[in-house]
Amino acid sequence: MTTVDGRHELDREAERLAYKPPEVRHDKQGDMDSEDRINKAMHNFVKNFNTQTASYLDGCLHCGMCADACHFHVRTDDPRYTPIWKIELFKRTYKRQVSPFAFFYRLLGLKRHVTIEDLEEWQHLLYDSCTVCGRCSLVCPMGIDVAGLISMARHGMFKAGLIPHELHEVAKRAAETGSPLGITPDKFEDRVEWMADEHEVEIPMDVEQADVLAVMSSIEIQKYPESIAATAKILNAAGESWTFRTDGFEATNFGMLSGNPDWQKDATMKLIDAAVKIGAKMIVLPECGHAYMALRWQGANMYGKPLPFKVLHISEYMADALDKGKIKVRKVDKSVTYHDPCQVSRRGGATQAARDVIGHLGVDFREMEYGGDYNWCCGGGGGVVTIKRADSLRHRVFKLKMDQVEKTEADQLLSSCANCRQSFDDSQQHFSWDYTMGSLMEMVAENLEEDNS
Amino acid sequence: MKNKPTVGEILQAKGVSRRGFLKYCATTASLLALPPAMIPRIAKAIESARRPSVIWLSFQECTGCTESLTRSAAPTVEGLIFDAISLDYHHTLQAASGEQAEAARHAAMEENEGGYLVLVDGSIPMGNPGFSTIAGISNHDMLMETVAGAAAVVSIGTCAAFGGIPGADPNPTGAVSVQDLVKDKPIVNVPGCPPIPMVMTAVLTQFLTFGQLPEVDKFRRPLAFFGQTIHDRCYRRPFYEQGKFADSFDDEGAKAGWCLYKLGCKGPTTYNACATAKWNQGTSFPIESGHPCLGCSEPGFWDKGGFYEPLSTGKFGSGAKVAGAAAAGIAMGVIAAAAGRSRQAKFTKEG
Amino acid sequence: MDLLEFARGPALEWAAYILVAGTIWRIVGIVLLKEKPDYSEPRKPAGFGAALKVIWTRAFTAEPFAKATLYPKMMAYVMHIGLFGVIFLFTPHIVFFEGWTGLDWPGLPNSIIFFLGVATVVSAVALLVRRLTNPVLKLISNFDDYFSWFVSTLPVVTGLLIPVRIGLRYEDLLAVHILSVVLLLIWLPFGKLGHTFLVFVTRGTTGMVFERRGAKT
Repeated sequence: MTTVDGRHELDREAERLAYKPPEVRHDKQGDMDSEDRINKAMHNFVKNFNTQTASYLDGCLHCGMCADACHFHVRTDDPRYTPIWKIELFKRTYKRQVSPFAFFYRLLGLKRHVTIEDLEEWQHLLYDSCTVCGRCSLVCPMGIDVAGLISMARHGMFKAGLIPHELHEVAKRAAETGSPLGITPDKFEDRVEWMADEHEVEIPMDVEQADVLAVMSSIEIQKYPESIAATAKILNAAGESWTFRTDGFEATNFGMLSGNPDWQKDATMKLIDAAVKIGAKMIVLPECGHAYMALRWQGANMYGKPLPFKVLHISEYMADALDKGKIKVRKVDKSVTYHDPCQVSRRGGATQAARDVIGHLGVDFREMEYGGDYNWCCGGGGGVVTIKRADSLRHRVFKLKMDQVEKTEADQLLSSCANCRQSFDDSQQHFSWDYTMGSLMEMVAENLEEDNS
Repeated sequence: MKNKPTVGEILQAKGVSRRGFLKYCATTASLLALPPAMIPRIAKAIESARRPSVIWLSFQECTGCTESLTRSAAPTVEGLIFDAISLDYHHTLQAASGEQAEAARHAAMEENEGGYLVLVDGSIPMGNPGFSTIAGISNHDMLMETVAGAAAVVSIGTCAAFGGIPGADPNPTGAVSVQDLVKDKPIVNVPGCPPIPMVMTAVLTQFLTFGQLPEVDKFRRPLAFFGQTIHDRCYRRPFYEQGKFADSFDDEGAKAGWCLYKLGCKGPTTYNACATAKWNQGTSFPIESGHPCLGCSEPGFWDKGGFYEPLSTGKFGSGAKVAGAAAAGIAMGVIAAAAGRSRQAKFTKEG
Repeated sequence: MDLLEFARGPALEWAAYILVAGTIWRIVGIVLLKEKPDYSEPRKPAGFGAALKVIWTRAFTAEPFAKATLYPKMMAYVMHIGLFGVIFLFTPHIVFFEGWTGLDWPGLPNSIIFFLGVATVVSAVALLVRRLTNPVLKLISNFDDYFSWFVSTLPVVTGLLIPVRIGLRYEDLLAVHILSVVLLLIWLPFGKLGHTFLVFVTRGTTGMVFERRGAKT
């Protein structure tokens, strides 16, 4: 007699979840010939070779430890996903062009010049299989910031017209319309009005002068518009003088993700100009990881001088406001685990802020194993979630997240990044997973205590 | 050839007991690493030997080698050798002088043509023949003339073997060794400054017994005595291994008899029998007396770093030269960085 | 001039010049490139203290990565510590450094040094085998990796041969040992062995950049 278990365990190793290597497709933009592409790539690699980068590229020991930290390598055992291998063309160009022994490298042919085939193959390595999460940078015994090098290498790939198609289209749309999803100022204004209406909350728009400029990410505007209302609720409760601006509302920066420093600067300057215009003392960034990296840490360098205002991620703003008593929250009786967005926590240094907020919420907080600064990436950052052909790879690495979250047995999964949320939602659907990611900001907004004064 | 008495007859006449004689043969066999069965053969060979002619030439030397050989308070086995050979010419030991002495040399050469041994101590000056002459004959000429009819040549002491102290930097006399000049005769080098007496006589005994010269190393030194380093036979070796070294000549380590490596001992690179055969009938040797080995049986030992400079000290260029290297590095670095920056500027412009 | 005199004299001397010139060349060539100014507001000040902190802490692998990297890390530690021991705690070597710097310090007994030397070679061979068989390392390794391995391991092997002797003469083995060190010193500034001085730059830089952000280092 056989026993039949009516409830089937989700079999993760079954065929349908087997990893299919992405189809070999070398996307090209523009109609440059190979020679030009190679030159463009080389020139734009070289632009990045300052002292810091040079010491990193010169210092690699080929120890391979970075591979053990990278979720793409760990889940596929494909040696090409070794982080420093993704940098190989960038490194080779450095050695040939700018390193202290560059002359001899060229004279004696000690390293090959980059070829078009190299660049085509590396498109996949530099874009499909890297989310710039930075775990590799933490493990490197030489202290090399490998993830940072990836971002720089993308400059060469972009100018050579060799980046994944979807990412290029999204970045181009962002450059042309101001939003990767084509959300024009009018559309933004519409959605803000809709949210203000739906949630009965005051949402200032295009105020002439304000202390705080709030900005949103297109992902939230389009997919999670409640974030707009949540932001407003929190800033209002804190009694902040704030506004949205139609001339500076997009926090995402696809110029940074795709590797176009000009587009990166354009997007950043929009926000800076708007803030300066209204005399803002602070820009509060939304739940978006790379928005934080783009403005908090790279914004001033795009500007060419220190920013005349503070930059806070919403989780930092909330932590500060809760600590100072500017806002109060009810206790939430739930067990919660938190997924740290790579660009905010590990790369951005704001790991503690989310935990302070969670502390105030009084939940039963369960830290994931290797959470916090060592968290596994959601797999969708760095533009990867836009690249369709990388879906299979991204789903494969997502197993790490599922295991990590399930081990906590928490009721609720929270994060503070809409791109992570998007990645989780997509994978949740793919795997029929029973965890839905929630927004930390929304939980705070939902549990704000009205002040009796 | 005159009918000479055999060595056995001479010894008998001198009242040397059979026992004493056999004791000498046994010691010699042992030194030569020969089995006990050889002792009777050595005895017979010496007894029946007809005292081969030996001509001893002294050139630029200090006479230390002769002193070493003859140093004895009482008749010693070394002394016996003089009864076993016919020493027909020796500046220090001969009674004759002047033309008579030279005549004795020529007589010995003629009478024993092809069969006599030439022993040489001291180096030969090639800078100017006038630097060292005997009876008006330059060392070089006397050497070449005398070895012409010799059976073999033995260079006694480091000066004859390798040039020694006269050959040390700056070598003002242009001193060279015997083997630098003599190319067509079998040569054995018995270096040391001076050599150990027993080593000198054992080589002669080997020749007497077997009519041939001992097996030698690449420097023509008998392997029996120069086949191992002082370091490998030194009684202080365990201290070297344990890491116990004397740091100065009168510190606790020195008093305790620890290894003298740090005080400049050249034992590891010196091949000689000092650590086993020792000196003064096995009394002691330099290390045992608390002084590091000078390496005196090695070619050019005077110029191989100071006697008190440890073996592993480096010979570095002057500080000025290192500074020069640093300056060169800075220059290359500046050029490389400038080239790198200019490439960067060029590529940035080209976009 | 015999081989030993050559090795101890001109060979070692020129190796010293090349080592000094090459090291300074490489450092200056990197340090004089354009510097990237950072205008962002630091979360906390991060000067040399931050650099020193990370120079120290990166010698240890963070817990989340420790298990995956345990084997090569342990082998590398044995190799480096063994190398340190045989180079700096063997009395004839200490005497060498004393001649150069005037500093003296106590050494370890030869038997311990020999054991350390053997451990160094064994761990080096283990790491080489790993480099030749592990898929990641096979892909990313190049001539520099293998040659640097050879040039660092050879002096230990030739040094071990001196007491072992293998029928050759002490002074010949010593000459070969010194020449192998000469080779190492000449290669050191140019390949990945340059990490001996670059490690301070790379770790220090990362320390300053990330401590400034208040981010994990």
